[in-house]
Amino acid sequence: VSVLGIGHGNKLLTDLYNCHLAKVYIVGGLFGKATDDFSDTGNLVEKTTFDHITREKLERILAVIQGTNQKALLMYSNIDMKTQEAYELAVKGLIRPMGKSPPIITAVRCLQFALPEFQLEIHCLHETQQYLRKMVHEIGLELKSSAVCTQVRRIRDGVFTVNDALPRTQWNLQSIQEAIRNCQLKVETELEKTL
Amino acid sequence: RRGLGVAAGPPNTRQLREAEEAAPVFQYAGKAARRKDRVFVWGFSYSGALGIPSFVRPDASWKKPRRIQTTPYRLETEEKISSAACGYGFTLLASNTRDITKVWGMGLNKDSQLGFQRSRRDQTKGYEYVLEPSPIPLPLEKPQQTRVLQVSCGRAHSLVLTDSEGVFTMGNNSYGQCGRKVVEDEIYSGSHLIHQLKEFDSEVVQVVCGQDHSLFRTKKGSVYACGWGADGQTGLGHYNITSVPTKLHGDIAGVNIIQVSSYGDCCLAVSDEGDVFGWGNSEYLQLASVTETTQVNVPRHLPFKIGKVKEAACGGTGNVVLTEEGNVFVWGYGILGKGPNLIETAVPEMIPPSLFGWSDFSPDIRVAHVRCGLSQFAALTNRGELFVWGKNLRGCLGTGRMEDQYFPWRVTVPGEVLDVACGVDHMVSMVRSF
Repeated sequence: VSVLGIGHGNKLLTDLYNCHLAKVYIVGGLFGKATDDFSDTGNLVEKTTFDHITREKLERILAVIQGTNQKALLMYSNIDMKTQEAYELAVKGLIRPMGKSPPIITAVRCLQFALPEFQLEIHCLHETQQYLRKMVHEIGLELKSSAVCTQVRRIRDGVFTVNDALPRTQWNLQSIQEAIRNCQLKVETELEKTL
Repeated sequence: RRGLGVAAGPPNTRQLREAEEAAPVFQYAGKAARRKDRVFVWGFSYSGALGIPSFVRPDASWKKPRRIQTTPYRLETEEKISSAACGYGFTLLASNTRDITKVWGMGLNKDSQLGFQRSRRDQTKGYEYVLEPSPIPLPLEKPQQTRVLQVSCGRAHSLVLTDSEGVFTMGNNSYGQCGRKVVEDEIYSGSHLIHQLKEFDSEVVQVVCGQDHSLFRTKKGSVYACGWGADGQTGLGHYNITSVPTKLHGDIAGVNIIQVSSYGDCCLAVSDEGDVFGWGNSEYLQLASVTETTQVNVPRHLPFKIGKVKEAACGGTGNVVLTEEGNVFVWGYGILGKGPNLIETAVPEMIPPSLFGWSDFSPDIRVAHVRCGLSQFAALTNRGELFVWGKNLRGCLGTGRMEDQYFPWRVTVPGEVLDVACGVDHMVSMVRSF
């Protein structure tokens, strides 16, 4: 999912960026290899065993990652923890950094697990592709093995999901106009909510 | 070395694959890579309650004394610890091993709440502060068979529950909290006396220490108490001290109690049907749902309509219960966990589960246990995560910050938290590594 703005849309793009909404990725990984750029096309650094890895162990590591990132979330959001406001935002789960921040993961879930491959759904903020690949590598290390990233696919960017996206066959004026109309409402509500 | 007749240039895919297959495979997960059980401590260290001597007396010139440990720190123990309890400035760790040494203590020992710890400098005197986990010798009849099930600590006394030799008590007995007759002008410092209690209607399955009183729960579901009673915390119908464990009646007579809790001067009990009973101090609205008096000296049923209660925990001024559905309710006075605006309530209020990590994304997160310190609360989820909130007295919350925490906050512990014990200004947790 890649968001493009046309004309007036460009200004809306900056506003959307300032909303700091989470993006969702499907990340595929492979256990047993470690490469220099954390993906499966890089130069091999070393191979490791991975038969001891179970889905349970993976999910435990994911829980820890979520936990540490939760704290980062609250810290970078610059909200005074002593206020009632902070409590209410925390209950609704709306606390998130409103300015620049290092990549933060808001949620991780294991979708598929078939040794040596696995698939994760990651919700994150301010991330880069390299950060996601590094995350896969670190998961491998925590499980006393190693892992490389085989696939990174963005399925959601703020309010735009895969369902709103136009496949290449539909890149014509009609469909684009329709899509813009459909998404307008969503974009407006989101902007109003945050700003 | 490249042989003759081999093409030069960048390696093609087939060569890469062959190189990969030929690469050596490393194994990092050793054969004994089982999950290990560890103990983590945090909070105020100068009392010795954390059990890390280098925080109090640095053993290297570059180390500085550490008064407060704000985040969980690993404590090396000789044996696997199955039960831990935090008192007012001291800690007890117990293992259910059959070895001779089953209980270790550290921290304040001015009332011999850690037993007699012979000083190395003067063999006739005992240590007043014990800086690292030191064995507590129990006068067991069958030391190589009996197992220690649970330990509990109060302000200046401790209780040790064994599986076949009853309950051992040590420490201050000025109010009879050790279950033996009060001796006038008794000197508790450097005392060797450890008392054994066996006279109950059935096996004791849980021991709980309040500030200056002790509660015992037996297999048959009855509750015994002894110690200070000025707030009615002994629940025996009077406000005097009791020096022999006596059975409680009131609303819990004939009820099968499955859990008891206390830490300050208020007590809570949970029955097998999910009802909550309370007695003791009610100055902070802990029992205001049934009475306007500030002291209740007989167990009273608390008519809460919050569902079947599974577990209860009592703090100094606030109480918390966990229902069968996994919801957490708090009431009382102080930082209760619902933001700075909720300071006191007589009726339990629920803490939204989203604060414990519940969301549409992870809908099966439930709180599994609740624990209370003097002015802080702790909750353990079924995923092994620890959440704390309350007054951050001398860094006891373990969040890494010194500010009070007004709503549940995750403590970063490297492992799955199995249990946590809360004290006044420190906490101890048992963690299983990943």
